[in-house]
Amino acid sequence: MIKGFSLFKLCGVTLLGSVFLSMALFAAEETAPGVKGMSEEEFTPTKEVLTVKYVQMDKPYHMDVESLKGAFKDAGAVKVTLQKQDKAFPNGGGSVSGAEVKAIHDGLTVYFQITWNDPTKNARAIAVQEFRDAVALMFPLGSVEITPAEHFSPRMGDREKPVNLWHWKADWEADLLVKGELEDVEAQYPNMHDDFNLNPYSAYYHRELITSVEVLSGGRAANNLLSQPGRGRTVEDLNAEGFGTLTTQEHQDVNGCSHYEEGAWTVIIYRSLITDDPHDVQFVPGGNSYFNMAVWNGGEQDRNGQKNISSQWHPITLERVAWQ
Amino acid sequence: MTLVHNWHLGRRMEYPYFESRPKRQFAAVFNINRCIACQTCTMACKSAWTYNKGQEHMWWNNVETKPYGGYPQSWDVKTLKLIDNGENTWYTDEKDEKLSPYGVYEGDTIFEAAAKKNLNQWAVGYIPEDKEWRSPNFGEDVAKSNKPDEHSSLPEHSRWFFYIQRLCNHCTYPGCLAACPRKAIYKRKEDGIVLIDQKRCRGYRKCVEQCPYKKPMFRGLTRVSEKCIACYPRIEGRDPITKGRPMETRCMAACVGQIRLQGFLDDNPKNPVTWLIKHDKLALPLYPQFGTEPNIYYIPPRWAPRSYLRQMFGPGVDEAIDKFMVPSRERLAVMSLFRMTQSIIFEYKIEEGPKVFETMIHGKKFEMYNDTVIGYGEDGQEIVRTTIEEPVHIRDPKHYNSI
Repeated sequence: MIKGFSLFKLCGVTLLGSVFLSMALFAAEETAPGVKGMSEEEFTPTKEVLTVKYVQMDKPYHMDVESLKGAFKDAGAVKVTLQKQDKAFPNGGGSVSGAEVKAIHDGLTVYFQITWNDPTKNARAIAVQEFRDAVALMFPLGSVEITPAEHFSPRMGDREKPVNLWHWKADWEADLLVKGELEDVEAQYPNMHDDFNLNPYSAYYHRELITSVEVLSGGRAANNLLSQPGRGRTVEDLNAEGFGTLTTQEHQDVNGCSHYEEGAWTVIIYRSLITDDPHDVQFVPGGNSYFNMAVWNGGEQDRNGQKNISSQWHPITLERVAWQ
Repeated sequence: MTLVHNWHLGRRMEYPYFESRPKRQFAAVFNINRCIACQTCTMACKSAWTYNKGQEHMWWNNVETKPYGGYPQSWDVKTLKLIDNGENTWYTDEKDEKLSPYGVYEGDTIFEAAAKKNLNQWAVGYIPEDKEWRSPNFGEDVAKSNKPDEHSSLPEHSRWFFYIQRLCNHCTYPGCLAACPRKAIYKRKEDGIVLIDQKRCRGYRKCVEQCPYKKPMFRGLTRVSEKCIACYPRIEGRDPITKGRPMETRCMAACVGQIRLQGFLDDNPKNPVTWLIKHDKLALPLYPQFGTEPNIYYIPPRWAPRSYLRQMFGPGVDEAIDKFMVPSRERLAVMSLFRMTQSIIFEYKIEEGPKVFETMIHGKKFEMYNDTVIGYGEDGQEIVRTTIEEPVHIRDPKHYNSI
């Protein structure tokens, strides 16, 4: 009986071994149309750990980079190497080679500061040929241990291994500053004729037209967050489980601010450590997680999979708060 | 990539998704010979769907002048360059009625060109800039001159232009659908209409880039892309005028020149659209070499140089023009159905009438019979009845000078 069991075990191990071998072979080849498999190295998180420093701070009245900058003074930076996205169609990016990430928390809110070089500021995407600058942080959802044995895709997660993404957009920040909180077409084309604003009597003569904007603006009528005025934030809170599955959350919890100077972006993205949304990553002081990131250079027509990515997860450790 | 059959090309081609044809396919036949570019179709569409803010540059339907015109500017020339491998020819010696009615295309499609060039995206393409979308008919009425010795006599003129009427082709293998990294674009199983999900779209403009016909358009106001929706509420029969019967789109119904007939491509040989496209081969696809199997078909203009038309509509041009110039009895009858009703005709029947006219056209005998053509709706009920000869009413002498 015991002998039989150990024979089974032996066979089982061989079987499992061959499964792993075939998986490794499979991973190196094309896994789905337009998607190339990933290397073992990409399933290994980096050695360098991002420490989310505990900082006792008063929340500034204005959440801007200038007011928050001082708090990051003693936080250690992690340099993230970025590369072209070359696994899923459409491939692209490659114009931004790296970014620096720092993080702090005050026991209530976590702040990530990302800086990278970009010679052009692209903070509007109204003309068909214009694309925005953007940066996204990605976190595995739930409590996970990422090891080469336990595959967790560093590229948009995987089926049944969802990720939470925080996507800061330069044009959303520009939207916040204008009336109605959405840059209108006049911002791009001040002299374009339309039946809505230029007619001095438009409110009277074109009332039906004006009231039909909402109904006949597909994106707005479908409640697409990208189309909505008055979003009140610069960062979109999303989930994904693999390429092409990015989905806006019903509940938006993340915000951010930015500063562009001398060819470099500084973006601070913040959110409360804990939320009550099951689709959000949760941060516990003293706990661990991982992050990964991507940068889009609008000047190089970056958008969607055409982006500068890091191909590995980066571990995060949150410092305990003073009283813990 | 999977291999799918494209009957326009007469061969299989690479496409990111499996072949999945709709139950019936939204389609139309446009008779270029009759178009006067009045843009009534363009305005009918505009006033229904794109009069709103941020859509100022959008013309889901437009009529443009060929060879020089285009909306967006030079869209076709630019896309043709992208697929040009120097050998974009057709093999026409052998044809199969069903699988390769025009012969076999030996060049690259937009999908194959992208794979050959290792672009790491599904199709070749480009994004026209905002200034290229400024007008629905750039280069309006600009004629092309060919050297007189090239085309010395009719049927081809030495100075020529013609109008081409364009809307989304609701392709069987859409470039936009293939391009979308989010699968926000879908093709309806019930009627083959291609739509952009306004909730899933994130304004990446990959569809704007990879649709060879440049019919998805970016809307700056909503930051997402929009396209022709084939007036789907009308197609679904939700307009009360046709009492639940499928109804033709706004651009079709508004056609002043009566150049348009819309319906569905199906397996019924007595469906007027199916008959004109598949059986008579009078109507041809626009730039079939792109490889998307477009579903708007054109009766080519008889006065334009054949080499130009062959590039635009494929090798079926010469046969189609010959057929158009000397129409058969059945062809004349089916063509009489154009714009007789805005309910979609699913089947036609011809009741024979007396011979009323005969002549010689380019050495070929043409006989005209005053047949009656009857169109039937989806439910098999008669919806329209017309004759080849238009009825003539002679006014009573006492009303000669009265209005």
